[in-house]
Amino acid sequence: MFCEKAVELVRELQRMSDGQLPAFNEDGIRQILEEMKALYEQNQSDVNEAKTEGKTELIPTIKFRHSCLLRNQRCIAAYLYDRLLRIRALRWEYGSVLPTAIRFHMCAEELEWFNQYKKSLATYMRSLGGEEGLDITQDMKPPKSLYIEVRCLKDHGEFEIDDGTVILLKKNSQHFLPRWKCEQLIRQGVLEHVIS
Amino acid sequence: MADALSEASDLSGGEESQEEDVLTPAELIARLEEAWLNEKFSPELLENKSELVECVMEQLTHMEENLQRVRKGDLKASIHRMEIDRIRFVLSSYLRSRLQKIEKFFPHVLEKEKSRADGDPSFLSPEEFAFAKEYLANTEVYLKAVALKHMPPNLQSIDMLKAVPQPCLDSFVFLRVKERQDNILVEPETDDQREYVVDLEEGSQHLMRYRTIAPLVASGAVQLI
Amino acid sequence: MDTQSYMPVPPGVGMEENYFSLDDILLSHERLPCRSDTAFPKLGFLEKSGETHDIPEGTKLEMPLWLAKGLYERKRHVISVDLPKVYREGWRTVFGADANVVDLHKMGPYYYGLGSQMLHFENAENTEIAQSILQTFIGRFRRTMDSSQNAYNEDTSLLLERLDCLERALFRSGQNGLNAFQLWERGRASQLTASSLVTNYRKRKITELQS
Repeated sequence: MFCEKAVELVRELQRMSDGQLPAFNEDGIRQILEEMKALYEQNQSDVNEAKTEGKTELIPTIKFRHSCLLRNQRCIAAYLYDRLLRIRALRWEYGSVLPTAIRFHMCAEELEWFNQYKKSLATYMRSLGGEEGLDITQDMKPPKSLYIEVRCLKDHGEFEIDDGTVILLKKNSQHFLPRWKCEQLIRQGVLEHVIS
Repeated sequence: MADALSEASDLSGGEESQEEDVLTPAELIARLEEAWLNEKFSPELLENKSELVECVMEQLTHMEENLQRVRKGDLKASIHRMEIDRIRFVLSSYLRSRLQKIEKFFPHVLEKEKSRADGDPSFLSPEEFAFAKEYLANTEVYLKAVALKHMPPNLQSIDMLKAVPQPCLDSFVFLRVKERQDNILVEPETDDQREYVVDLEEGSQHLMRYRTIAPLVASGAVQLI
Repeated sequence: MDTQSYMPVPPGVGMEENYFSLDDILLSHERLPCRSDTAFPKLGFLEKSGETHDIPEGTKLEMPLWLAKGLYERKRHVISVDLPKVYREGWRTVFGADANVVDLHKMGPYYYGLGSQMLHFENAENTEIAQSILQTFIGRFRRTMDSSQNAYNEDTSLLLERLDCLERALFRSGQNGLNAFQLWERGRASQLTASSLVTNYRKRKITELQS
């Protein structure tokens, strides 16, 4: 049957329902595009035959293939669109610099989309009054206190806090730091918020 | 929150804001909270409140400046710092909800903006409009480059208005009535039901279809909760 | 809450399908018993036996929903679509007796979704089918809701086993609410946590290393 490859592509994403980004399936897409090309060419020739020789009995077959073409188009588009939604999520969870392992799963055009998205978002956030604008990717949860206790989960090097003091984030060390300075590092899994 | 805020304005020496429509800081924050909850719980994008956002941003900057003048280690300072953090959270969360909906419904949001009559208020702030346009262009360029341009000629475009779902106005929302409403027409849920009317008493709370009360959210007669 | 940044396109409501929804694409991959009401020249190879050049008129075929929807026309006879057996009268009686005992995952797993989609095809029993789907949902809803609100910190795979896709989604959203409430009660709602994307990537890396 036609369009089997296309639904495989969709299943691949569906299996990772938590939003992770699997490697871009270039080969799968290529195969579907080839199937589309073949379907289209067969339809072109049957359309000609139907017109010139008046073979109207070919119409159901042409329609059949056209449905398959539309199905393939939909599966590819939905696959790509869902990947964009996952890539968008990465900007909000990791910040604007992505780990290499994840970039490796993206195709060139996806990286381009990500960069554009980053730019649009930054422009928008800068426009929000004040001198530096407002970073709305921070403050994801309502604040309960100014300072929080954090534990370092890996070595991260030196880290400057508000008043210019520099501290060393060493694995397993514990610190009492301003909340808003830590939020992103916690999300990235560098620090852990300790609640006693 | 309101108390600490009015104190914040004392701290500033009681300067009035230059807006024509003079609001106390406490009123300003109350409006922000209303807008925030409405935006958070309504399925569709509501009218933008750029002026409100601007005022809150100014207020935040103002409070930050005043904090610089307070002695270090003063207990007052940390209370005000906390207040700033909380207002910033509400403001960010409000703007995030809007941006999320713009991304989710971008073709429809832009279409609505296009068909807006001259003089009608815009749902998008100029910055949000720019963002939405870029989001659409970026996404179309991407789909074209990766796949559509390699497809047969009759399949090289996708109607984004049809492909991207519209907000579901039939979803149910919780609300509190701020101004009494008479004769609200409620549509039937099943075939054997008829439409009927209800009166919404001030202060009462309800669970209703968003579509039924959308105009009341817009006018401020009800508050989503 | 705004903590989960990946928000997939939801499936359409009722008879609608959302073009970009992965769920809807998989739903429309479900197979339906069909019959060709006209010949399809040159497509004989798609049939099981695959011996003839054409698919002749009157051939029984299994077709995915998307194809049936693409070919079906109310006025002209191209294909006719038969009811899958779960929507036929026999099964409707079973559902009517006690909807709770039925394994809707096995019978579905898109029992509600596919049932709503069947209404696209003209069928004398459409009204009864719609009624039956609705009643089944109402009959099972309380149980789905209760179990999602009471299963805290336990293995839910047994509870999920017999649920349709729609019910599973409802169950999960109930569980999310319950978990958020429990966190709040223990004063942990404001704890900042690592992004689930980050932790899951890490987990996967470890398993990849191990395998």
